[in-house]
Amino acid sequence: MSAVAAKPTAGGAMNPTAMAVGVVLLLVILGICWRVSPGLGLMALIGMVVGGVLIGFGTHFVPVGGAPAAMGQAPGIATGVAMLAAGAGLAGLFGGAWAADQGLVVAVVTGAVGGGLMMAITCMMVNFIYVFGMGIPAASGKVLNDPITGDSQKEFKSQGTEGHGLPFVSFVGGVIGGILAGGGGTLIYLMILDVYKATLPTMMKATEAQIMPIAISAAGIFAVGIFLVNAVLTAYNITGTIEGPHDPKFKRWPRAIVASAVASALCGLAAILIVVM
Amino acid sequence: MENIVFGIGIAALTGALATVAGAAEDTESNIGSQGDPNSQVQLAPQMGFLHRIFNKAVAGEPPAYGLWCALGAGLAWAFMAMQINAVLAIVLGSVIAVFVQGVYATTAYLGRTASLKKFGQPVYVDILKSMTTVTMAHAFVAIFCTVTLCYLMNAALGHPFPLPLLGLLWGIALGAAGSAVGNPYYGKERQYQNQKFGAGVPISASGNIVRYAEAGERNSLDNGFFTAKLGGPASGVCFGLIVFLELWRTILFEKIGAGWGAIIVGVLMILVFTIIDRYIEVWARKTYGPYAKPEEASS
Repeated sequence: MSAVAAKPTAGGAMNPTAMAVGVVLLLVILGICWRVSPGLGLMALIGMVVGGVLIGFGTHFVPVGGAPAAMGQAPGIATGVAMLAAGAGLAGLFGGAWAADQGLVVAVVTGAVGGGLMMAITCMMVNFIYVFGMGIPAASGKVLNDPITGDSQKEFKSQGTEGHGLPFVSFVGGVIGGILAGGGGTLIYLMILDVYKATLPTMMKATEAQIMPIAISAAGIFAVGIFLVNAVLTAYNITGTIEGPHDPKFKRWPRAIVASAVASALCGLAAILIVVM
Repeated sequence: MENIVFGIGIAALTGALATVAGAAEDTESNIGSQGDPNSQVQLAPQMGFLHRIFNKAVAGEPPAYGLWCALGAGLAWAFMAMQINAVLAIVLGSVIAVFVQGVYATTAYLGRTASLKKFGQPVYVDILKSMTTVTMAHAFVAIFCTVTLCYLMNAALGHPFPLPLLGLLWGIALGAAGSAVGNPYYGKERQYQNQKFGAGVPISASGNIVRYAEAGERNSLDNGFFTAKLGGPASGVCFGLIVFLELWRTILFEKIGAGWGAIIVGVLMILVFTIIDRYIEVWARKTYGPYAKPEEASS
């Protein structure tokens, strides 16, 4: 069967029981946080869960072709899902952390635009190397026509392959993925930083200016860690490769949302507990 | 005004360093066969094609470079805390990180190649001796440039993250850019040079990589020589653009509209790259044309 005719496989089926267990776990973790730190801690944890969900959802948009893409056998970017999402999201986190003094909204949007810009440049250069370095036009293996431009895809697939390069819908998916991942990563960083800024001065008997280097470093490391947890979880959900929002595998995102929420809540709780216990 | 001019100068310098880092990273990974094309280097002996290509898939390029750059930056940071001159500290940190890369490269080549014993693939000691040092040299350039640009971001531009964390972030971004842009050129254009130009590698040809050069058997130095002409520079331009434009829009437009200026410029740049990408895509469709007429297409 060709990829065009492919249907979502059994691996993409939703398991209501597992989803329900995930939601219960999430509520339990939020309840624990409410017990130990009802105000700032709980709000921060909710922010981290939202950030984690954004990362998990955003990673589904990133067109990743893995090893087959490196041989022009499949469309997408020739690297791993988690790695590319991390590259974009962490580039966004860099910008977001820089703008942290300008308020939550500006910082999160700055992080989102940073991630989107990284993906826009990368996706453009991927098509550049395919077209001008290898003489291969972009073609999707999962749809007959590009959902955005309407360009036909089938006749631009070379023989014996599932497509190659980045059709326009994949480019747009990559940018959206970078925006969501960059914004989510920045949100997690800012939430943890708020908690540390409020609690570390009392805990270490020092002024806020004195604890800032420690707070920024610890929040940054936790943000990177939680980011990678969510990106890797999503990579498992995608099972290797995805072309973007038009890929049948994209429909698996609800499962990843629940898993990302639970994983982010658990990691976030650990980040909060080290300063409030 | 002076601050902005200084900032733009630093942004230009970091952009140049990032370009060199990206080119060196891609060439290093191609000589070592580290990225996704490594799957073919590992597969070839299983299909009966024994070769003399270096084989060191330590990890994906982003986490590998995240580790090496974080290590280089962390060690440089520690040396600077010991009051060692910043330039010397960065060089020393990068050198030690490169030795770690060399250890990984050696164990990866020996381990991965030894696992192919049942298919008759020999472990070539001369390959190990001649290739490892070349990958280490390229890795040094990539790590040194990345740690230096991280140092400039931290010390000259005042980014709040400490040097090791910046090393981790930009190391991962470096690996992501290098593998995304450089891998197809090495994987398709070099490893499968015997296949048709202007088409993807048919799945049925998997594993049948080119193993012979103009004289004798092809090795990874030949591959590095080839990809350094386009795949490496293109990866460098990609990473250089990412670093430079991120810094440029922040330094120049951050003060406008309480941060929204940099955001708007960022969105405009995304739109510009979208238009360029679409132009490239349409140009390729018109210039190269379809492989088959629509009504005759089958797959």
